Amino acid sequence: MDLRNFTFLVYGYSAAMLVIFGYVTLLVLRSRRIDRELTRLKSLVEDKN
Amino acid sequence: MSGWSAVLAIARKDLRTELRTKESINASASFALVILVLFSFAFDLGRPELLEIAGGLLWLVYSFAGALIVNRSFARELPNDCLDVLIASPAPGWAIFLGKAVSCFLLLMAVELISLPVFGIFYNVHWAGAFFSLLLVIGLATWGITVVGAAFSAVTVNVRLRELMLPVLLYPILIPLLSAAMELTTALVNGEGLGGDNGAGVRLLVGFDVIFTSLAIYLVEFILVV
Amino acid sequence: MRDKVILSLAALGTLLMVWNFNTIFLHLPDEAQQGAIYRIIFIHVPAAIGAYTFYSVAVLSSVMFLVKKNFKYDSLAVACVEVGQVFTLVNLVTGSIWGRIIWGIWWTWDMRLTTQLICFLLYLGYLLLRPSVTEPTQRATMSAILAIFAFADIPIVVMAIRLKNVRTQHPQPVLETGGLDPSFWPPLLISFIAVLLIGCALVMLRLHQETSRREIDYLRREVHAL
Repeated sequence: MDLRNFTFLVYGYSAAMLVIFGYVTLLVLRSRRIDRELTRLKSLVEDKN
Repeated sequence: MSGWSAVLAIARKDLRTELRTKESINASASFALVILVLFSFAFDLGRPELLEIAGGLLWLVYSFAGALIVNRSFARELPNDCLDVLIASPAPGWAIFLGKAVSCFLLLMAVELISLPVFGIFYNVHWAGAFFSLLLVIGLATWGITVVGAAFSAVTVNVRLRELMLPVLLYPILIPLLSAAMELTTALVNGEGLGGDNGAGVRLLVGFDVIFTSLAIYLVEFILVV
Repeated sequence: MRDKVILSLAALGTLLMVWNFNTIFLHLPDEAQQGAIYRIIFIHVPAAIGAYTFYSVAVLSSVMFLVKKNFKYDSLAVACVEVGQVFTLVNLVTGSIWGRIIWGIWWTWDMRLTTQLICFLLYLGYLLLRPSVTEPTQRATMSAILAIFAFADIPIVVMAIRLKNVRTQHPQPVLETGGLDPSFWPPLLISFIAVLLIGCALVMLRLHQETSRREIDYLRREVHAL
């Protein structure tokens, strides 16, 4: 019982960390995509100018 | 043009259009009947158990039918820029919104009153004894569905996948209203009255209606003007 | 400068949380009835309170957008809603895991769990609506209105569920009634501060992304014009 109890506690904290770090990863990937798009558009504007 | 005469004019216009074409009332009533039949295949219950879930079944049917009706509410103004004309008219924004909410309310009440006897027959539920209390509960909850539904219909009118977005946005907001309506309906068909504990449910319905009607009337200017 | 602030907030929050783990896992005794699993309260409750804090900021921001029409408020609102959703999910998942041990079931429809789930659904609708609207002003206005409706619904949800005759299995409030052991307060408060710091860092990062997105829209229009 105690081991199962403690195991689920670890699962709980792991799940919480997974959710938060999952979101952080999502944000980082989105940031990279946005930066790439920004760089591309800025260079396009410069070329057209 | 005063606000209230605009409300009446828009409600009359929508009702007249609907009664001539009968597009959403036919679809909605047929859909309600089909769902009632489907549920009878889903559940194979004896009468006592069925009476426990009667309210839940009925309001599921009503909420699905309601979503169809409110979806058409502002969407029917899209062709030929009728929505822009309405917004540009001297009628205040709240009057346009209320007019549409009133017409949706009357249409949904019609569908509900058609489905109620069918429900009673298919599921052997005797609701006639509590008809006037049931009518009060149905009226209050239907107003809540139509006022929030009409507001979200205005919000989603220019959105892609409007038919999908409206239920996704509408149902979570309606959960407390539907929960109270389901509880009250189950209580009424089981022979209880509207007093005591059930009075709190009625107060919740009234509170929901008042809060969301005020919120919708105040915010609709922002929705329509953009 | 902004990157430094984000990193500092995130680092401070993470350090606090890690230091708190030391207290929670190594210095606090097991609880008499629940055993080791009670320690989940130190992430479960701060996540819920953090989520509500961010939702409150989101609704205030939405109101400010409707008043001032400044897109910064819209960006703040969507950032806070997203981070609030993350913490609500943490709350639901950790609560479910706790419930599996204590109640033997992954889920029950008691008041707090149901309210949290409905909260999650309401704001999920908000996040689903945004990509469907292409025009920025319309998107910001619709989102603001939806955020206000969702926030107004939460107290009514609490009342509705309280009305239902469901024997609540969720532990009764211990924070308000003083039933919590005094030694539990410091780790709980530190956990809450850590959650807020990490949440603020995430909000700032998301805010920056929204600003960049607006810049992308502007540059696209400029490229198109050229």
